[in-house]
Amino acid sequence: MKLLTLANRYYFSTLLLVFIASGMASFFILKSIINREFNRKLFAEKEQLIDELATYDDLKGFYFLNIGDRLQIQEVPENPQIVTNLRDTVMYDTYEKTTLPFRKLSFAEQIKGKYYVITITKSLLPNQELIKGVSEILLMLILFLAISLVLINRYVINRLWWPFYKILVQLKQFNIKKPEPIQPLQTVIDEFRLLKSVLDTMVDKSIRDYRNLKEYTENTSHEIQTPLAIIKNKSESLLQETLTESQLHEVGKIYEAAGRLSRLKEGLSTLSKIDNNQFLDAEPIDIQTAIENKLCHFEELVSLKNIQVTTDFYSRPLIILNNDLAFILINNLVNNAIKHNVQGGRIHIVLKEDELCMENTGLPPAMPIEQLFDRFRSSGDHPDSSGLGLSLIKRIADFYQMRIRYDYVEGQHRVILNF
Amino acid sequence: MNLLLIEDEKELALTMAKYLGEEGFRCEWADHLMLAQEKVWMNVYDCVIVDITLPDGNGLEVIDRLKKMKSNSGIIIVSAKNALDDRIRGLEIGADDYLTKPFDLSELNARIKAVIRRRNFDAQNEVVFHEIRINPYAHTVAVNDMAVTLTKKEFDLLLYFVSNPNRVITKSSIATHLWGEDMYLADSFDFIYSHLKNLRKKLQDKGCGDYIETVYGIGYKFSKH
Repeated sequence: MKLLTLANRYYFSTLLLVFIASGMASFFILKSIINREFNRKLFAEKEQLIDELATYDDLKGFYFLNIGDRLQIQEVPENPQIVTNLRDTVMYDTYEKTTLPFRKLSFAEQIKGKYYVITITKSLLPNQELIKGVSEILLMLILFLAISLVLINRYVINRLWWPFYKILVQLKQFNIKKPEPIQPLQTVIDEFRLLKSVLDTMVDKSIRDYRNLKEYTENTSHEIQTPLAIIKNKSESLLQETLTESQLHEVGKIYEAAGRLSRLKEGLSTLSKIDNNQFLDAEPIDIQTAIENKLCHFEELVSLKNIQVTTDFYSRPLIILNNDLAFILINNLVNNAIKHNVQGGRIHIVLKEDELCMENTGLPPAMPIEQLFDRFRSSGDHPDSSGLGLSLIKRIADFYQMRIRYDYVEGQHRVILNF
Repeated sequence: MNLLLIEDEKELALTMAKYLGEEGFRCEWADHLMLAQEKVWMNVYDCVIVDITLPDGNGLEVIDRLKKMKSNSGIIIVSAKNALDDRIRGLEIGADDYLTKPFDLSELNARIKAVIRRRNFDAQNEVVFHEIRINPYAHTVAVNDMAVTLTKKEFDLLLYFVSNPNRVITKSSIATHLWGEDMYLADSFDFIYSHLKNLRKKLQDKGCGDYIETVYGIGYKFSKH
């Protein structure tokens, strides 16, 4: 969920509660004020009426009174004993032709020795209209406030949080292989300054660690070569001496082991070079020619195993690859197809515009398919292979965002590479 | 034939010098750049073997000096770095060949001989081993003056053997020589065997002696017993 959405959510839920409470409160307060005023007016009119009845003899003769909406004055012979009372009622209005709410003030009064029962009736309609109007204004105000709050909120978040978003974008684009320092931030907000400085430290550290590791790997692989060369050459030199057969064998084993170690090191340093992005130069590689060259190179081995090679070149794709990596890729693919083949087996190569498919006969893989692309997974029957072949293929494919799949169906190994 | 080994690792240099000395080369050794520069300035070598990473500088500087002096020495770079860039750069500034550590002594020996042959180019220049005469340029082989037809790999194999006579040559060194460093298949050993069988038969057909001796489990030896 976005920060803005969440903030809005919190604001609105709070706002809603506050609005409901304050809306209701103001409605009732307003209503009671208006009611009180209304009643006061009614009683004031009562006083006025009594006063006028006392002053003028023939009240009905003038009728200039502006008392109530309806006035009922009834003369009664004796004291009716009515307590002044106030009632709300609904009456039929002949003009509006509908029933309307009214308030009725009834009282009895003795004026100039006569008894009267007087009822002043006043329409409640204007009051209700007023309450309605005020409520509407209030509602509009709330709405207006809500809208401005959304706008302010958005503005504030964009405005306040932009350093955060700026850092976020840079972190997203950060690549340890091509590190760029996080750009300076012009902000007065302490939290973001702190965030920036913490991130700077972290980024610096990871860049430094990465560089150290890279140098370490490179140096190690470089430094290993010399002692390896000494072991290899010394043992080779020893082979030339007159030795007993068993001594010769022992020396031969040392020599072989040195060779294996050297190949392993070579594979590992290629892997780390791929990881370190050290194969940047790329050029269009003609995959078909590369495959044909490789097959030609291994021709004798293919014929030694009596392997039948068939190719279907439907297209002639030119793929942008690093020369070394393309060599390793094709070399290892063809190499594997020969190495893990059986006597009198088959290799079938299909090349399309965006796909290379290599099928070869062979024994079932000695390990689960998912582990096949891991480092140091080599099948037991080839102790001389370093187990890095498929891992290298996978890494190169990943490096160029190619998709690689492997399956084994009915005695056929199949590697499919999508460019 | 004079060789200069520029190599800072003493043990490596000694082993190389021993092997090459037995091949009839007179080896001198320089373990740092200054000494190497001095030596190439003072003496004439048929071939200079240069390690690129030296304690006091880059071995490529020696190649520069040799080129400025218009030296006729053959130059072979030996480097622990197997990087295409280094290889291309080395060959561009005038090296004849490039070998990656660790290498086989038999391979180094064969390369040195090939470089020297090329330097003293003479189409008549032949490599002779008893009744076998190899012309490395015309790619022809004659036994007792009778031409023998060999495939390219058989020819390379024979030349490799003749370049390292009386030496135990390991199977992996042969495989690397024939198929390159990136090639490593257990199967290739079987192939070497079948190749050797063909080669031996072709040579013997012309009355050649059987010089290929099997060193069981290790490799082969080309010698007149």
